[in-house]
Amino acid sequence: MKGLLVALAVMGAAPAPAFAHHSFAMYDHTRTVTLKGEVTKFQWTNPHAYLEVDVKQKDGTTKHYSIEMTSINLMTRLGWRSNMIKAGDQVKVTVSPLLNGEAGGLMLDVTLPDGKKLEPGVPAVNTFKRSPEE
Amino acid sequence: MRILASGLLVVGAIAGAVSLGAQQKTAPPPNISGAWERYGAALGQPTGDAQRRDGTAPPRSEQPVVKPAYQKEYQGRLTAVRDANAKGAPLASNYVDCLGDGMPLMMAAMFPIEFLQSPGQVTVIEEAFTQVRRIRLDQPQKKIEDVEPGFYGHSVGHWEGDTLMVDTVGIKESIRYNNVPHSDQMRIKEKIHLAAPNVLWDEITIEDPVVLEKPFTIYYAYRRMTDYTLLEYICEDNREFKDANGVQQIRVGDTGRK
Repeated sequence: MKGLLVALAVMGAAPAPAFAHHSFAMYDHTRTVTLKGEVTKFQWTNPHAYLEVDVKQKDGTTKHYSIEMTSINLMTRLGWRSNMIKAGDQVKVTVSPLLNGEAGGLMLDVTLPDGKKLEPGVPAVNTFKRSPEE
Repeated sequence: MRILASGLLVVGAIAGAVSLGAQQKTAPPPNISGAWERYGAALGQPTGDAQRRDGTAPPRSEQPVVKPAYQKEYQGRLTAVRDANAKGAPLASNYVDCLGDGMPLMMAAMFPIEFLQSPGQVTVIEEAFTQVRRIRLDQPQKKIEDVEPGFYGHSVGHWEGDTLMVDTVGIKESIRYNNVPHSDQMRIKEKIHLAAPNVLWDEITIEDPVVLEKPFTIYYAYRRMTDYTLLEYICEDNREFKDANGVQQIRVGDTGRK
């Protein structure tokens, strides 16, 4: 099974350079993390957009996450606009976490305060294995 | 009367054929101006079904065969890329430095491309990284040694019937198609034509007598985007970087960019 996952991850990573700014192999393709928190910034830039989110921890502290999205050109074609998320919004984000353990990840989808769920169009998104929401 | 009628028909047919021939000679080139998106691989999802149905799928691209002297470098790079991806520590490509594809990979059209036909020139713009190449029409190609090596080289072209024939030289050796090495003797020949009213093919043959055993040909198909204006693309806040080992890394934390 592990071999299959690695194979899928490699397959997913291989075609990505042709359709993305860079390889997404630095993100964990074997699990996802669900982050619920407050947006501090929705950064509408190339080569990637970013969602900056403060996530309250169980011990009461706050941990900041930088969540990478795709290119704003691709997101625009998928219907995204720069004003769709604002600082202060409470969001739920499914991310593929950084393999190096830093507080960052790749956004697979985001649920907005009104319940609307959006995807930023990550290439080969089906090669990311989803974990149950905690 | 019957014979006369037949005779007139024959004369008419000949006159028609002659005028058709004259028309073909003076027919303006087809209109390929406007925005196009890769067809069959939109948004990274290979979907060749529609193309198979309408017969506009181009032939399968050929694999390059490099000479033995370059085999070690080429295979070594491919293996290194594959291993690094499997480890989750991908090697940085030019994209990580926000550098465009150059030729011929620009024509893979990661994002939409635009053709502009103007007197004496066809211009190609790729939305990703705002890449531009200029194809000068009906001019002699320069000698390779007279072209300063660059990302897009020096391109000349001419119309042969409905096909735009393009010749490009002067690509920097660091600008590579899928990691294939090349020398300063590389020459890129393209045949660009409409496979259907709204489907464009670019047949790209890469020659390099120094590195390649024989030329190889790749094919890209594009679909016309009738209501699309290319968007701007500026690498405004590139958080990815290449570390000392050539591995792609990312800075986490708000960079302060608005």
